[in-house]
Amino acid sequence: MIKLGDVRARLPARLCQPPDVLRGAGAVWRRHLIVWRTMLWASLTSNVFEPLLFLFAFGYGLGAIVGELGGLPYLVFILPGMMAYTAMFAASFEATIGAYARFRLQKTWDAMLATPLSLTEILLGELLWCATKATVAATCVFIVGAAFGGVPSIGGGLLGLLMLVLAALCFGACGHAFLAYAKGWDFFSYVFTFWVTPMFIFSGVFFEVTRFPDPIQLLAWVLPMTHVIAVLRPLTTGQELGWIAILNVLYVAGLAVVAFLVARRRIGQRMFD
Amino acid sequence: MTSEVVIQAHGLTKHFGGLEAVAGIDFEVERGTCVGLLGPNGAGKTTTMRMIMGLTRPSAGTLTVFGHPSSALGKAERARIGLVPQEDTLDPDITVAQNLHVYGRYFGVARAALDERVPQLLAFMHLEEKANAQVMQLSGGMKRRLIVARALIGNPDLVILDEPTTGLDPQARMMIWKRLLALRGERKTLLLTTHYMDEAERLCDRIVIIDGGRVLENGSPRALIRKHVSGHVFELPKPVPEGLDGDGLDVEDIGDAVLVYVDTPEALMHRLGGEAAFHHRPAGLEDVFLRLTGRQLRDS
Repeated sequence: MIKLGDVRARLPARLCQPPDVLRGAGAVWRRHLIVWRTMLWASLTSNVFEPLLFLFAFGYGLGAIVGELGGLPYLVFILPGMMAYTAMFAASFEATIGAYARFRLQKTWDAMLATPLSLTEILLGELLWCATKATVAATCVFIVGAAFGGVPSIGGGLLGLLMLVLAALCFGACGHAFLAYAKGWDFFSYVFTFWVTPMFIFSGVFFEVTRFPDPIQLLAWVLPMTHVIAVLRPLTTGQELGWIAILNVLYVAGLAVVAFLVARRRIGQRMFD
Repeated sequence: MTSEVVIQAHGLTKHFGGLEAVAGIDFEVERGTCVGLLGPNGAGKTTTMRMIMGLTRPSAGTLTVFGHPSSALGKAERARIGLVPQEDTLDPDITVAQNLHVYGRYFGVARAALDERVPQLLAFMHLEEKANAQVMQLSGGMKRRLIVARALIGNPDLVILDEPTTGLDPQARMMIWKRLLALRGERKTLLLTTHYMDEAERLCDRIVIIDGGRVLENGSPRALIRKHVSGHVFELPKPVPEGLDGDGLDVEDIGDAVLVYVDTPEALMHRLGGEAAFHHRPAGLEDVFLRLTGRQLRDS
Protein backbone atom coordinates (compact mmCIF):
# COMPACT_ATOMS: atom_id res chain seq x y z
CA MET A 1 0.00 0.00 0.00
CA ILE A 2 1.28 3.41 -0.88
CA LYS A 3 0.25 6.02 1.60
CA LEU A 4 -0.41 9.53 0.43
CA GLY A 5 1.72 10.85 3.30
CA ASP A 6 4.75 8.89 2.08
CA VAL A 7 4.39 10.20 -1.43
CA ARG A 8 4.09 13.72 -0.17
CA ALA A 9 7.17 13.33 2.03
CA ARG A 10 9.27 12.40 -1.01
CA LEU A 11 8.12 15.26 -3.16
CA PRO A 12 9.83 18.63 -2.89
CA ALA A 13 8.03 20.70 -0.25
CA ARG A 14 6.94 23.38 -2.69
CA LEU A 15 4.90 20.87 -4.71
CA CYS A 16 2.78 20.03 -1.66
CA GLN A 17 2.03 23.66 -0.86
CA PRO A 18 -0.32 25.55 -3.13
CA PRO A 19 1.57 28.32 -4.95
CA ASP A 20 1.53 31.69 -3.19
CA VAL A 21 -0.82 33.20 -5.73
CA LEU A 22 -3.49 30.58 -5.02
CA ARG A 23 -3.05 30.88 -1.26
CA GLY A 24 -3.58 34.63 -1.52
CA ALA A 25 -6.58 34.18 -3.82
CA GLY A 26 -7.90 31.61 -1.35
CA ALA A 27 -7.75 34.15 1.50
CA VAL A 28 -9.75 36.61 -0.62
CA TRP A 29 -12.26 33.89 -1.56
CA ARG A 30 -12.62 32.95 2.10
CA ARG A 31 -13.40 36.56 3.03
CA HIS A 32 -16.23 36.64 0.50
CA LEU A 33 -17.55 33.34 1.83
CA ILE A 34 -17.61 34.66 5.42
CA VAL A 35 -19.44 37.83 4.36
CA TRP A 36 -21.85 35.83 2.20
CA ARG A 37 -22.69 33.48 5.09
CA THR A 38 -24.23 36.43 6.93
CA MET A 39 -26.82 36.69 4.14
CA LEU A 40 -26.92 33.02 3.24
CA TRP A 41 -30.67 32.46 3.48
CA ALA A 42 -31.69 35.51 1.50
CA SER A 43 -29.23 34.50 -1.18
CA LEU A 44 -30.22 30.82 -1.35
CA THR A 45 -33.92 31.58 -1.26
CA SER A 46 -33.65 33.82 -4.30
CA ASN A 47 -31.43 31.24 -6.00
CA VAL A 48 -34.16 28.60 -5.63
CA PHE A 49 -37.27 30.74 -5.89
CA GLU A 50 -36.35 32.67 -9.02
CA PRO A 51 -35.75 29.63 -11.22
CA LEU A 52 -39.01 28.19 -9.89
CA LEU A 53 -40.82 31.29 -11.12
CA PHE A 54 -39.12 31.12 -14.51
CA LEU A 55 -39.72 27.40 -14.91
CA PHE A 56 -43.35 27.81 -13.96
CA ALA A 57 -43.87 30.67 -16.41
CA PHE A 58 -41.90 29.23 -19.34
CA GLY A 59 -42.10 25.51 -18.75
CA TYR A 60 -45.83 25.40 -18.10
CA GLY A 61 -47.16 28.63 -19.53
CA LEU A 62 -45.11 28.98 -22.70
CA GLY A 63 -44.41 25.26 -22.87
CA ALA A 64 -48.13 24.54 -23.23
CA ILE A 65 -48.20 26.70 -26.35
CA VAL A 66 -44.84 25.67 -27.78
CA GLY A 67 -45.17 22.00 -26.99
CA GLU A 68 -41.89 20.62 -28.31
CA LEU A 69 -38.76 22.31 -29.57
CA GLY A 70 -35.93 20.52 -31.36
CA GLY A 71 -37.67 17.25 -30.60
CA LEU A 72 -37.64 17.94 -26.85
CA PRO A 73 -40.39 18.84 -24.38
CA TYR A 74 -40.09 22.61 -23.89
CA LEU A 75 -39.18 22.30 -20.19
CA VAL A 76 -36.29 19.99 -21.12
CA PHE A 77 -35.21 22.37 -23.89
CA ILE A 78 -35.28 25.49 -21.76
CA LEU A 79 -33.71 24.10 -18.58
CA PRO A 80 -30.05 24.19 -19.72
CA GLY A 81 -30.73 27.72 -21.00
CA MET A 82 -32.02 28.73 -17.58
CA MET A 83 -29.01 27.12 -15.87
CA ALA A 84 -26.61 29.01 -18.12
CA TYR A 85 -28.54 32.25 -17.76
CA THR A 86 -28.57 31.94 -13.97
CA ALA A 87 -24.81 31.36 -13.88
CA MET A 88 -24.16 34.18 -16.35
CA PHE A 89 -26.31 36.64 -14.44
CA ALA A 90 -24.86 35.72 -11.03
CA ALA A 91 -21.25 35.95 -12.25
CA SER A 92 -21.82 39.18 -14.19
CA PHE A 93 -23.57 40.83 -11.26
CA GLU A 94 -20.91 39.80 -8.75
CA ALA A 95 -18.05 40.87 -11.02
CA THR A 96 -19.52 44.28 -11.81
CA ILE A 97 -21.85 45.75 -9.17
CA GLY A 98 -20.67 43.46 -6.36
CA ALA A 99 -16.97 43.97 -7.03
CA TYR A 100 -17.37 47.70 -7.70
CA ALA A 101 -18.86 48.13 -4.23
CA ARG A 102 -15.76 46.48 -2.76
CA PHE A 103 -13.42 48.43 -5.04
CA ARG A 104 -14.89 51.93 -4.63
CA LEU A 105 -17.50 52.03 -1.87
CA GLN A 106 -16.19 49.80 0.89
CA LYS A 107 -12.52 50.15 -0.16
CA THR A 108 -12.09 46.44 0.47
CA TRP A 109 -9.44 46.19 -2.24
CA ASP A 110 -7.49 49.09 -0.74
CA ALA A 111 -7.51 47.30 2.60
CA MET A 112 -6.29 44.11 0.90
CA LEU A 113 -3.51 45.89 -0.98
CA ALA A 114 -2.13 47.18 2.34
CA THR A 115 -1.29 43.53 3.14
CA PRO A 116 1.08 41.15 1.32
CA LEU A 117 -1.72 40.39 -1.19
CA SER A 118 -1.09 41.42 -4.79
CA LEU A 119 -3.70 42.77 -7.18
CA THR A 120 -3.47 39.55 -9.21
CA GLU A 121 -4.33 37.52 -6.11
CA ILE A 122 -7.23 39.84 -5.28
CA LEU A 123 -8.70 39.59 -8.79
CA LEU A 124 -8.19 35.85 -8.89
CA GLY A 125 -9.94 35.51 -5.53
CA GLU A 126 -12.80 37.66 -6.81
CA LEU A 127 -13.04 35.51 -9.92
CA LEU A 128 -13.10 32.25 -7.95
CA TRP A 129 -15.85 33.75 -5.83
CA CYS A 130 -17.88 34.67 -8.94
CA ALA A 131 -17.53 31.10 -10.12
CA THR A 132 -18.60 29.77 -6.71
CA LYS A 133 -21.73 31.90 -6.48
CA ALA A 134 -22.69 31.27 -10.09
CA THR A 135 -22.22 27.51 -9.73
CA VAL A 136 -24.27 27.39 -6.51
CA ALA A 137 -27.06 29.31 -8.25
CA ALA A 138 -26.97 27.12 -11.37
CA THR A 139 -26.95 24.00 -9.20
CA CYS A 140 -30.16 25.19 -7.54
CA VAL A 141 -31.78 25.53 -10.98
CA PHE A 142 -30.46 22.10 -11.88
CA ILE A 143 -31.95 20.49 -8.75
CA VAL A 144 -35.30 22.25 -9.10
CA GLY A 145 -35.42 21.44 -12.84
CA ALA A 146 -34.47 17.81 -12.29
CA ALA A 147 -37.22 17.50 -9.65
CA PHE A 148 -39.75 18.53 -12.31
CA GLY A 149 -38.37 16.09 -14.84
CA GLY A 150 -36.45 18.66 -16.86
CA VAL A 151 -33.12 16.77 -16.94
CA PRO A 152 -33.20 13.49 -18.89
CA SER A 153 -29.46 12.94 -18.33
CA ILE A 154 -28.47 13.59 -14.71
CA GLY A 155 -24.86 12.50 -15.40
CA GLY A 156 -24.70 14.86 -18.36
CA GLY A 157 -26.16 17.60 -16.19
CA LEU A 158 -23.43 17.14 -13.59
CA LEU A 159 -20.83 17.40 -16.34
CA GLY A 160 -22.70 20.48 -17.53
CA LEU A 161 -22.22 22.07 -14.10
CA LEU A 162 -18.47 21.70 -14.65
CA MET A 163 -18.88 23.54 -17.95
CA LEU A 164 -20.73 26.25 -16.02
CA VAL A 165 -17.77 26.67 -13.65
CA LEU A 166 -15.65 27.55 -16.68
CA ALA A 167 -18.47 29.71 -18.06
CA ALA A 168 -18.74 31.60 -14.75
CA LEU A 169 -14.97 32.24 -14.77
CA CYS A 170 -15.40 33.71 -18.25
CA PHE A 171 -18.44 35.87 -17.38
CA GLY A 172 -16.71 36.96 -14.18
CA ALA A 173 -13.53 37.95 -16.00
CA CYS A 174 -15.55 39.84 -18.64
CA GLY A 175 -17.40 41.63 -15.82
CA HIS A 176 -14.08 42.61 -14.26
CA ALA A 177 -12.87 43.92 -17.62
CA PHE A 178 -15.99 46.14 -17.82
CA LEU A 179 -15.53 47.21 -14.20
CA ALA A 180 -11.96 48.20 -15.00
CA TYR A 181 -13.34 50.95 -17.24
CA ALA A 182 -16.33 51.92 -15.06
CA LYS A 183 -16.31 55.53 -13.90
CA GLY A 184 -19.48 55.19 -11.81
CA TRP A 185 -22.53 53.05 -11.13
CA ASP A 186 -24.33 54.31 -14.26
CA PHE A 187 -21.77 52.53 -16.40
CA PHE A 188 -23.20 49.16 -15.40
CA SER A 189 -26.55 49.88 -17.03
CA TYR A 190 -24.64 49.70 -20.35
CA VAL A 191 -23.17 46.37 -19.32
CA PHE A 192 -26.60 44.97 -18.60
CA THR A 193 -28.24 46.48 -21.70
CA PHE A 194 -25.51 45.62 -24.21
CA TRP A 195 -24.02 42.48 -22.71
CA VAL A 196 -26.21 40.58 -20.23
CA THR A 197 -29.60 41.10 -21.89
CA PRO A 198 -28.40 40.28 -25.44
CA MET A 199 -27.00 37.01 -24.09
CA PHE A 200 -30.39 36.32 -22.53
CA ILE A 201 -32.11 36.90 -25.88
CA PHE A 202 -29.69 35.87 -28.64
CA SER A 203 -27.75 32.94 -27.20
CA GLY A 204 -30.35 30.22 -27.42
CA VAL A 205 -31.92 30.27 -23.97
CA PHE A 206 -35.50 30.12 -25.30
CA PHE A 207 -35.07 28.82 -28.86
CA GLU A 208 -32.34 27.71 -31.20
CA VAL A 209 -29.92 30.31 -32.53
CA THR A 210 -30.49 28.96 -36.06
CA ARG A 211 -33.89 30.66 -36.14
CA PHE A 212 -32.19 34.04 -36.50
CA PRO A 213 -31.13 35.50 -39.87
CA ASP A 214 -27.43 34.92 -40.67
CA PRO A 215 -25.99 38.29 -39.55
CA ILE A 216 -27.70 37.94 -36.17
CA GLN A 217 -26.43 34.38 -35.88
CA LEU A 218 -22.92 35.65 -36.46
CA LEU A 219 -23.39 38.16 -33.66
CA ALA A 220 -24.80 35.44 -31.42
CA TRP A 221 -21.66 33.32 -31.84
CA VAL A 222 -19.51 36.23 -30.67
CA LEU A 223 -21.30 36.07 -27.33
CA PRO A 224 -19.73 33.44 -25.02
CA MET A 225 -23.17 32.44 -23.73
CA THR A 226 -24.06 30.89 -27.11
CA HIS A 227 -21.04 28.60 -26.84
CA VAL A 228 -21.90 27.68 -23.26
CA ILE A 229 -25.45 26.68 -24.16
CA ALA A 230 -24.23 24.82 -27.25
CA VAL A 231 -22.26 22.54 -24.92
CA LEU A 232 -24.71 22.45 -22.01
CA ARG A 233 -27.91 21.56 -23.89
CA PRO A 234 -26.68 18.26 -25.38
CA LEU A 235 -25.31 17.33 -21.95
CA THR A 236 -28.49 17.79 -19.90
CA THR A 237 -30.79 16.46 -22.60
CA GLY A 238 -28.64 13.42 -23.25
CA GLN A 239 -28.05 14.25 -26.92
CA GLU A 240 -24.79 13.57 -28.68
CA LEU A 241 -22.06 16.12 -28.17
CA GLY A 242 -20.10 16.79 -31.37
CA TRP A 243 -16.35 17.35 -31.60
CA ILE A 244 -17.06 21.01 -32.24
CA ALA A 245 -17.79 21.30 -28.50
CA ILE A 246 -14.01 21.47 -28.03
CA LEU A 247 -13.98 24.72 -29.99
CA ASN A 248 -16.87 26.05 -27.89
CA VAL A 249 -14.95 25.27 -24.70
CA LEU A 250 -11.74 26.80 -26.08
CA TYR A 251 -13.58 29.96 -27.09
CA VAL A 252 -15.01 30.40 -23.60
CA ALA A 253 -11.66 29.61 -21.92
CA GLY A 254 -9.72 31.89 -24.26
CA LEU A 255 -12.08 34.79 -23.68
CA ALA A 256 -11.75 34.23 -19.91
CA VAL A 257 -7.96 34.53 -20.11
CA VAL A 258 -8.00 37.61 -22.36
CA ALA A 259 -10.62 39.36 -20.20
CA PHE A 260 -8.67 38.58 -17.04
CA LEU A 261 -5.48 40.07 -18.48
CA VAL A 262 -7.30 43.19 -19.68
CA ALA A 263 -8.94 43.64 -16.27
CA ARG A 264 -5.68 43.07 -14.38
CA ARG A 265 -3.80 45.58 -16.53
CA ARG A 266 -6.41 48.34 -16.52
CA ILE A 267 -7.31 48.06 -12.81
CA GLY A 268 -3.59 48.07 -12.02
CA GLN A 269 -3.20 51.33 -13.93
CA ARG A 270 -6.16 52.82 -12.11
CA MET A 271 -4.97 51.83 -8.65
CA PHE A 272 -1.20 52.30 -8.86
CA ASP A 273 -0.49 55.19 -11.23
CA MET B 1 24.17 50.74 19.46
CA THR B 2 24.06 50.99 15.69
CA SER B 3 20.82 52.35 14.32
CA GLU B 4 19.07 50.54 11.51
CA VAL B 5 17.40 52.63 8.85
CA VAL B 6 13.93 51.27 8.07
CA ILE B 7 12.86 53.83 5.48
CA GLN B 8 15.25 55.90 3.39
CA ALA B 9 14.10 58.41 0.80
CA HIS B 10 16.54 60.26 -1.40
CA GLY B 11 15.42 62.78 -4.00
CA LEU B 12 12.05 61.06 -3.94
CA THR B 13 9.75 62.46 -6.62
CA LYS B 14 6.26 61.65 -7.88
CA HIS B 15 4.50 63.28 -10.82
CA PHE B 16 0.86 62.76 -11.71
CA GLY B 17 0.71 63.98 -15.28
CA GLY B 18 1.95 67.58 -15.03
CA LEU B 19 1.43 67.79 -11.27
CA GLU B 20 4.44 67.29 -9.05
CA ALA B 21 2.95 65.83 -5.86
CA VAL B 22 6.33 65.02 -4.31
CA ALA B 23 9.21 67.15 -5.55
CA GLY B 24 12.44 65.52 -4.41
CA ILE B 25 12.32 64.80 -0.70
CA ASP B 26 14.99 63.27 1.55
CA PHE B 27 14.31 61.70 4.91
CA GLU B 28 15.14 58.67 7.00
CA VAL B 29 13.20 56.69 9.55
CA GLU B 30 15.30 54.74 12.03
CA ARG B 31 14.18 51.57 13.69
CA GLY B 32 12.31 52.00 16.97
CA THR B 33 11.50 55.67 16.41
CA CYS B 34 8.30 57.50 15.67
CA VAL B 35 8.56 59.97 12.82
CA GLY B 36 5.80 62.45 12.04
CA LEU B 37 5.17 63.56 8.49
CA LEU B 38 3.40 66.90 8.79
CA GLY B 39 2.08 69.19 6.12
CA PRO B 40 -1.08 70.95 4.99
CA ASN B 41 -3.58 69.09 2.82
CA GLY B 42 -2.07 68.41 -0.59
CA ALA B 43 1.50 68.66 0.70
CA GLY B 44 2.37 65.17 -0.56
CA LYS B 45 2.02 63.14 2.66
CA THR B 46 -0.39 60.51 1.44
CA THR B 47 1.47 60.09 -1.86
CA THR B 48 4.69 59.56 0.09
CA MET B 49 3.00 56.91 2.24
CA ARG B 50 1.55 55.17 -0.80
CA MET B 51 5.05 55.02 -2.30
CA ILE B 52 6.39 53.50 0.91
CA MET B 53 3.62 50.87 0.81
CA GLY B 54 4.57 50.06 -2.77
CA LEU B 55 1.12 51.17 -3.97
CA THR B 56 2.49 53.74 -6.39
CA ARG B 57 5.88 53.94 -8.09
CA PRO B 58 8.25 56.83 -7.51
CA SER B 59 8.83 58.90 -10.68
CA ALA B 60 12.42 59.62 -9.67
CA GLY B 61 14.80 59.29 -6.75
CA THR B 62 15.24 56.31 -4.49
CA LEU B 63 13.07 54.93 -1.73
CA THR B 64 14.07 51.87 0.24
CA VAL B 65 12.06 50.06 2.89
CA PHE B 66 13.90 47.44 4.98
CA GLY B 67 16.76 47.93 2.54
CA HIS B 68 14.71 46.98 -0.55
CA PRO B 69 13.38 49.35 -3.25
CA SER B 70 9.78 50.11 -2.28
CA SER B 71 8.36 49.24 -5.68
CA ALA B 72 9.92 45.77 -5.53
CA LEU B 73 9.02 44.68 -2.01
CA GLY B 74 8.51 40.95 -1.69
CA LYS B 75 5.72 39.30 0.27
CA ALA B 76 8.03 38.81 3.25
CA GLU B 77 8.81 42.54 3.48
CA ARG B 78 5.23 43.62 2.89
CA ALA B 79 4.15 41.32 5.72
CA ARG B 80 6.34 43.40 8.07
CA ILE B 81 4.31 46.58 7.40
CA GLY B 82 0.97 47.44 9.00
CA LEU B 83 -1.12 50.31 7.63
CA VAL B 84 -3.72 52.38 9.45
CA PRO B 85 -5.39 54.14 6.52
CA GLN B 86 -7.13 57.48 6.74
CA GLU B 87 -10.40 56.01 5.49
CA ASP B 88 -12.55 53.36 7.09
CA THR B 89 -11.78 50.21 5.08
CA LEU B 90 -13.27 47.73 7.57
CA ASP B 91 -15.68 45.03 6.46
CA PRO B 92 -19.04 46.37 7.68
CA ASP B 93 -21.07 43.17 7.35
CA ILE B 94 -19.04 40.92 9.63
CA THR B 95 -18.04 41.02 13.29
CA VAL B 96 -15.09 42.74 14.91
CA ALA B 97 -13.27 39.44 15.53
CA GLN B 98 -14.02 38.21 12.00
CA ASN B 99 -12.47 41.37 10.57
CA LEU B 100 -9.22 40.54 12.34
CA HIS B 101 -9.34 36.85 11.35
CA VAL B 102 -9.99 37.65 7.69
CA TYR B 103 -7.21 40.24 7.64
CA GLY B 104 -4.79 37.89 9.35
CA ARG B 105 -5.31 35.37 6.56
CA TYR B 106 -4.25 38.00 4.02
CA PHE B 107 -0.94 38.09 5.90
CA GLY B 108 -0.74 34.31 5.74
CA VAL B 109 -1.06 33.97 9.53
CA ALA B 110 -2.16 30.42 10.39
CA ARG B 111 -5.59 29.90 11.91
CA ALA B 112 -4.23 28.55 15.20
CA ALA B 113 -1.99 31.60 15.61
CA LEU B 114 -4.95 33.88 14.88
CA ASP B 115 -7.09 32.19 17.53
CA GLU B 116 -4.45 33.30 20.00
CA ARG B 117 -3.62 36.68 18.52
CA VAL B 118 -7.08 38.10 17.87
CA PRO B 119 -8.19 38.14 21.56
CA GLN B 120 -4.82 39.65 22.52
CA LEU B 121 -5.21 42.48 20.04
CA LEU B 122 -8.82 43.10 21.03
CA ALA B 123 -7.68 43.39 24.65
CA PHE B 124 -4.78 45.65 23.63
CA MET B 125 -7.20 48.09 21.96
CA HIS B 126 -9.92 47.65 24.65
CA LEU B 127 -12.36 46.02 22.28
CA GLU B 128 -12.71 42.61 23.92
CA GLU B 129 -16.37 43.18 24.79
CA LYS B 130 -17.11 44.04 21.17
CA ALA B 131 -15.56 40.90 19.69
CA ASN B 132 -18.90 39.63 18.37
CA ALA B 133 -20.46 42.99 17.51
CA GLN B 134 -21.07 43.89 13.87
CA VAL B 135 -18.67 46.57 12.67
CA MET B 136 -21.67 48.64 11.52
CA GLN B 137 -22.73 49.05 15.16
CA LEU B 138 -19.40 50.48 16.35
CA SER B 139 -18.83 54.13 17.20
CA GLY B 140 -16.24 56.11 15.24
CA GLY B 141 -13.68 55.75 18.04
CA MET B 142 -14.15 51.98 18.24
CA LYS B 143 -13.76 51.67 14.48
CA ARG B 144 -10.45 53.56 14.61
CA ARG B 145 -9.25 51.30 17.43
CA LEU B 146 -10.22 48.26 15.38
CA ILE B 147 -8.34 49.63 12.36
CA VAL B 148 -5.25 50.02 14.56
CA ALA B 149 -5.69 46.47 15.91
CA ARG B 150 -6.08 45.19 12.35
CA ALA B 151 -2.83 46.85 11.27
CA LEU B 152 -1.05 44.91 14.03
CA ILE B 153 -2.41 41.46 13.10
CA GLY B 154 0.74 40.45 11.22
CA ASN B 155 2.95 41.62 14.11
CA PRO B 156 4.57 44.27 11.89
CA ASP B 157 7.95 45.94 12.48
CA LEU B 158 6.81 49.11 10.74
CA VAL B 159 3.41 50.70 11.37
CA ILE B 160 2.27 53.49 9.07
CA LEU B 161 -0.56 55.63 10.43
CA ASP B 162 -2.41 58.11 8.22
CA GLU B 163 -4.23 60.53 10.55
CA PRO B 164 -5.04 57.86 13.14
CA THR B 165 -7.11 60.04 15.49
CA THR B 166 -8.93 62.45 13.17
CA GLY B 167 -12.48 63.04 14.38
CA LEU B 168 -12.10 61.25 17.72
CA ASP B 169 -13.02 62.52 21.18
CA PRO B 170 -10.17 63.34 23.61
CA GLN B 171 -10.58 60.07 25.54
CA ALA B 172 -10.27 57.93 22.43
CA ARG B 173 -7.28 59.97 21.18
CA MET B 174 -5.52 59.59 24.51
CA MET B 175 -6.12 55.85 24.48
CA ILE B 176 -4.71 55.46 20.96
CA TRP B 177 -1.69 57.61 21.90
CA LYS B 178 -0.94 55.33 24.85
CA ARG B 179 -1.06 52.31 22.59
CA LEU B 180 1.21 53.90 20.00
CA LEU B 181 3.72 54.80 22.72
CA ALA B 182 3.55 51.19 23.92
CA LEU B 183 4.35 50.01 20.39
CA ARG B 184 7.31 52.36 20.21
CA GLY B 185 8.42 50.90 23.53
CA GLU B 186 8.51 47.49 21.80
CA ARG B 187 11.03 48.94 19.31
CA LYS B 188 8.48 49.08 16.54
CA THR B 189 8.97 51.81 13.97
CA LEU B 190 6.11 54.26 13.49
CA LEU B 191 5.50 56.69 10.66
CA LEU B 192 2.62 59.02 11.35
CA THR B 193 0.76 61.82 9.63
CA THR B 194 -1.53 64.07 11.60
CA HIS B 195 -3.00 67.54 11.60
CA TYR B 196 -2.91 67.66 15.41
CA MET B 197 0.30 69.31 16.53
CA ASP B 198 -0.17 68.19 20.13
CA GLU B 199 -0.32 64.63 18.84
CA ALA B 200 2.88 65.02 16.84
CA GLU B 201 4.64 66.72 19.76
CA ARG B 202 3.57 63.99 22.12
CA LEU B 203 4.35 60.93 19.99
CA CYS B 204 7.13 61.80 17.57
CA ASP B 205 10.87 61.61 18.12
CA ARG B 206 11.35 63.47 14.90
CA ILE B 207 9.19 65.56 12.64
CA VAL B 208 9.45 66.15 8.92
CA ILE B 209 7.44 69.15 7.74
CA ILE B 210 6.62 69.05 4.05
CA ASP B 211 4.72 71.42 1.81
CA GLY B 212 4.36 71.65 -1.94
CA GLY B 213 6.10 68.29 -2.20
CA ARG B 214 9.30 69.56 -0.51
CA VAL B 215 10.80 69.09 2.93
CA LEU B 216 10.75 72.41 4.79
CA GLU B 217 12.19 71.26 8.08
CA ASN B 218 13.30 68.10 9.82
CA GLY B 219 14.15 67.63 13.50
CA SER B 220 12.87 66.81 16.97
CA PRO B 221 9.77 68.74 18.06
CA ARG B 222 11.77 70.53 20.75
CA ALA B 223 14.59 71.50 18.41
CA LEU B 224 12.13 72.85 15.84
CA ILE B 225 10.33 74.94 18.44
CA ARG B 226 13.65 76.30 19.72
CA LYS B 227 14.83 77.11 16.24
CA HIS B 228 11.75 78.85 14.86
CA VAL B 229 9.83 80.41 17.71
CA SER B 230 10.72 81.88 21.07
CA GLY B 231 9.24 80.49 24.26
CA HIS B 232 6.09 82.61 24.44
CA VAL B 233 3.63 84.05 22.00
CA PHE B 234 1.31 87.03 22.43
CA GLU B 235 -1.58 87.52 20.04
CA LEU B 236 -2.56 91.21 19.88
CA PRO B 237 -5.64 92.35 17.96
CA LYS B 238 -5.12 95.34 15.66
CA PRO B 239 -4.62 98.26 16.06
CA VAL B 240 -1.39 97.28 17.73
CA PRO B 241 -0.03 99.52 20.54
CA GLU B 242 2.58 101.87 19.09
CA GLY B 243 6.29 101.20 19.23
CA LEU B 244 6.10 97.43 19.12
CA ASP B 245 7.65 96.96 15.63
CA GLY B 246 11.22 97.81 14.86
CA ASP B 247 12.15 97.17 18.42
CA GLY B 248 14.08 93.96 17.81
CA LEU B 249 10.89 92.03 18.57
CA ASP B 250 9.89 88.97 16.54
CA VAL B 251 6.53 90.14 15.15
CA GLU B 252 4.34 88.35 12.62
CA ASP B 253 1.34 89.96 10.93
CA ILE B 254 -1.58 87.50 10.61
CA GLY B 255 -4.22 89.83 9.17
CA ASP B 256 -6.51 91.12 11.86
CA ALA B 257 -3.93 90.60 14.60
CA VAL B 258 -0.18 90.28 15.12
CA LEU B 259 1.81 87.60 16.89
CA VAL B 260 4.77 88.62 19.04
CA TYR B 261 7.27 85.92 20.00
CA VAL B 262 9.39 86.54 23.09
CA ASP B 263 11.70 84.44 25.26
CA THR B 264 10.28 85.65 28.54
CA PRO B 265 6.81 87.11 28.92
CA GLU B 266 7.34 89.60 31.79
CA ALA B 267 8.92 92.53 29.87
CA LEU B 268 6.26 92.56 27.15
CA MET B 269 3.44 92.17 29.62
CA HIS B 270 4.78 95.17 31.48
CA ARG B 271 4.94 97.21 28.28
CA LEU B 272 1.41 96.28 27.25
CA GLY B 273 0.11 97.29 30.64
CA GLY B 274 -3.13 96.22 32.23
CA GLU B 275 -5.46 97.82 29.66
CA ALA B 276 -4.46 96.01 26.44
CA ALA B 277 -6.43 92.97 25.19
CA PHE B 278 -4.12 90.11 24.30
CA HIS B 279 -3.88 86.35 24.34
CA HIS B 280 -0.75 84.83 25.82
CA ARG B 281 0.40 81.19 25.60
CA PRO B 282 3.61 79.18 25.41
CA ALA B 283 4.80 78.81 21.80
CA GLY B 284 4.45 75.31 20.35
CA LEU B 285 4.76 73.17 17.29
CA GLU B 286 1.62 74.69 15.80
CA ASP B 287 3.38 78.07 15.63
CA VAL B 288 6.36 76.46 13.91
CA PHE B 289 4.07 74.71 11.46
CA LEU B 290 2.10 77.83 10.59
CA ARG B 291 5.22 79.96 10.24
CA LEU B 292 6.79 77.47 7.85
CA THR B 293 3.78 76.54 5.75
CA GLY B 294 1.98 79.89 5.79
CA ARG B 295 -1.47 80.76 6.97
CA GLN B 296 -3.55 80.74 3.83
CA LEU B 297 -6.22 78.04 3.50
CA ARG B 298 -5.56 75.02 1.30
CA ASP B 299 -8.21 73.93 -1.11
CA SER B 300 -7.49 70.24 -1.34
